[in-house]
Parts: sequence; structure tokens; C-alpha cells
Amino acid sequence: MTWNRFYLIYGVVLVLLVGAAAYRGWSFTSVNEVKNVPKSIRDNPGSYRAIYAGYHHYTGGK
Amino acid sequence: MSPQTPPPHVESLTCPNCGAPLTVRSMGRAVTIVCDRCHSILDAKDPQLRILQRFEAATGDEVPLIPLGARGKWRGADYEAIGFQVRTMEVDGIAYSWREYLLFSPYKGFRYLTEYNGHWNDCSVATALPEADGTSARYLGKKYKHFQTCDAKTTYVLGEFPWQVAVNGDAVTVTDYIAPPYVLSSETDGSETTWTLGEYVHGADIWKAFGLPGPPPAPVGVYENQPSGLRVSAGQTWFAFAGLATAMFVIFTLNQLFSQREQVFQEAYRFSPSSTEASFVTPEFELKGRTSDLEVRTDADVSNRWIYLNYALIDEDTGRAYDFGREVSYYSGVDSDGSWQEGSRHDRVVLPSIPPGRYYLRVEPESDSSFGLIGYTVTVTRDVPVLTVYLVAFCALLLPALLISWRTYNFEQIRWAESDHPMRSIGSGGDE
Repeated sequence: MTWNRFYLIYGVVLVLLVGAAAYRGWSFTSVNEVKNVPKSIRDNPGSYRAIYAGYHHYTGGK
Repeated sequence: MSPQTPPPHVESLTCPNCGAPLTVRSMGRAVTIVCDRCHSILDAKDPQLRILQRFEAATGDEVPLIPLGARGKWRGADYEAIGFQVRTMEVDGIAYSWREYLLFSPYKGFRYLTEYNGHWNDCSVATALPEADGTSARYLGKKYKHFQTCDAKTTYVLGEFPWQVAVNGDAVTVTDYIAPPYVLSSETDGSETTWTLGEYVHGADIWKAFGLPGPPPAPVGVYENQPSGLRVSAGQTWFAFAGLATAMFVIFTLNQLFSQREQVFQEAYRFSPSSTEASFVTPEFELKGRTSDLEVRTDADVSNRWIYLNYALIDEDTGRAYDFGREVSYYSGVDSDGSWQEGSRHDRVVLPSIPPGRYYLRVEPESDSSFGLIGYTVTVTRDVPVLTVYLVAFCALLLPALLISWRTYNFEQIRWAESDHPMRSIGSGGDE
């Protein structure tokens, strides 16, 4: 297979992926999925342990 | 050899100079024969084999890589190697030599193989007269670029030839035009011009055809009509790139036009960092339609402050949660350099592939306890276009095209460095 053909196939796959990304709403954001969150969170939001709690925040400025 | 091929016609003679036996294989077509023992060039048309020239090999005997008398099936016909000559040109005081092997078939006639630094060409006399203007030549509808013009002499011969050969005789002017894998060559001796067409071939194919022992010599460098190992055309690659980038742009445009950008939730909140329990859940909102992305936008009234929000988007029905954290911070001031600002009061994140369903957000804000009340607004919008996907895909499309072009450029630069028209290298100065 020549590189031209390889590039064409690669490009077509890429375009199809972009089309699928546009249709299915893919993005590069990293999100953690947690399954089976109890319904009690509605009544007691503080009981949920957020994955991102304890994040070190920017506290500076110039 | 195939069963229907007749045995080669071999005629035995003796050298009038040294008495060594001579073998004539070209069935009466030889014009000159060279004695491989005493290097006498003999007139094959003379019954007495008149001696035309005697020469001394300047650097000892050249050993043909294809032995004279070797037979093989080449390009669909049986050929026998009957002649061998070394030709030499001089450029800037440096001699460059290549070797030519004359092949003969009783049915197809003559053709020859040339070899230089392990690069081989299969050559035959042109069947039509090419049109040449010095910079290019056209032959059978194909255009060839001028590569090199030089004067060459025959410096060594063995075997028999259908033309009169002379060692270190008059130089002929050789002009090569190329359209890889082809080379169109003209040889002019002042009174006559001969055109030949060569095609680049691999030594391994010759070795296989003629049943030669061992491997062929490895090619060195890039030869004038050597096709690129990638078998790639930068022009075709960029043509494909243009088509694919256009297709990508069409998808982008359609995505921009038909994305619903449906705002499904918006609410303003106020957060007191000193409060002990800050987490809360929003009212439920519904995502309709197909699986799509979801934008969560946070606009916070911060000035020289920050707020961090632990978000969890929770599917009411399945209990699946999507956890993410966002910081909104904005700082500004004035110092000796003038006014400055950092950060933004707005933040936007796009969650990928959220299925339809009933959702709510669990929000847990954090900030410095010394800060006062912070107001912020959370806006949720489904099915928004994401530009970064297109940018990454465009780069992924562009990068191989650039690499292919770079590789092709380098290959061509090496090829043309040996020509009369060397390419200027990228970044080279004009003083070289």
C-alpha cells in the first residue's frame, strides 16, 4: 500500500471520527463517572464525596 | 531455461593476438569482440578478426557482477549477458564510473542493464524520437526533466558488442532527463545521437532472474531516477489533504448550524465561604433528544478572589454521576508596569456524550474563608459545538502531510544534489 493511499484512508477515518464526535458530542474533557449514586443525595448533598474535593486552588495574582 | 527455448548459438574463434579462445553469442550481430585475456578489441565483421585496439586496464581487471554468458528470463524473454563495459565521466576532477551489461535475446534483440553504486537500470533504445529543449524532454507523451549533461568515455570493455567500441576513445556527451522511475538518455558523438530509455530496477530482481549467487551490492545514496521508497507523491498527499480538510470544514459548518444549543438550566446562587455546609443540589432538569455534549458554564462575581466548585451531574434514574471540578478566579491591579489582570470571571466546560434523561447538579463551592459573599450563576446547555475536536483533528490531518512533504523534499534534495540543478536546502544561505 502506498503512503498516499494510507494517508487517504487515515484521513477518511479521521473525518468519520470528527463526524461521529459532532453527532455524539465527544469532547476532550476529563470527567469521572461514578455509578449507583444513592438517591439520598437529594436530601443530604453533603453525604456525597466529591472526587475533586481538596483541589489545590490558585491563590495568587501578580 | 524453458523447454521451447532453443539452445544458444555459440561460435568459437581464437584471438589473433594471444590465441585465447573467443566465444561469440550474438549470432552474427557482433561488430566488435574483446578478448578477455589480452584485451584486444577485434573486428567481428572481419574473417581474420582484425585487431582494432589493445588496451591495458588502468586499475586491473574489472569483474562483471553479471558474468558474461549468464542467462536468465528478464522482462518475459530469455536473455544472455554478452558484453560488459565501464564508462567514466569526470566532474570537478573526480571520476565517476558506471557499468553497463549488454544483454542479447535471439527474439528480442539487445538491451542492457546499467549499474552505479548498487543502483540498476534496465535500458533499451528509444522507439521514437524524443523532443528535447535542454531543460526537458518529451517522449511518448511523458515529460522528463533535465538532470545532467556530461562527457563520458568507455574505459573498459569485455565480450562482444553490436557497435564499434573503443577504450578511452572520443568522449560522447551524455544527457539525462528523468521522470522517476524512468531516465531518458541521449548520447551524442558529434555526428549521431542515440536515445535510450531506462527504468530503475532492483538488484534483487536481476539476481533472481539470472540466478546470481549471493546478494546484490547494496545501493548507496539516491540515484537520479530512483523512485522514493515511500512511493508517495507530496502533490497527491496535499490534494487528499485539501479534500479531507474540506470535508472536515463541511462537518464543522453543519455542526455549527444544527447544534441545538438548548439551555436546560440556569440559576444564580450566593456562597458564603464561612458557611459550614455549602453543598446543595439543583432542581431537576431534562435532557431530551440524542446523546450529546453538555456545557456547564459558571459566571462568578470574583475580583481578586477565587471560587472552586465541585460539580456532580447526577442522572436521577440510573444513579450515574459525572464528577468534575471548576475554578473561577480573577485578579487585577496596578504596579510599576501599569495595570494587570489574570484569570476570568467566566468558566466553561463541555461534558462529553451525556445520554438523555432527568438530571440534577450537586454543587459544592469552596473559597477562602476570609472572602465575603460570592455570587455565581450556573448555566447548563446541551448540544454545543466543540471547536477543539476540529482543531485536534485538523492537526492530526496536517501533521502526516507535513511529514510526507518533508520526507519527499529531503529525498528530492539528495537526488538533485548530484545534478546540474541542485535544490537549495531550507535555511541555507546564499553565500555557499
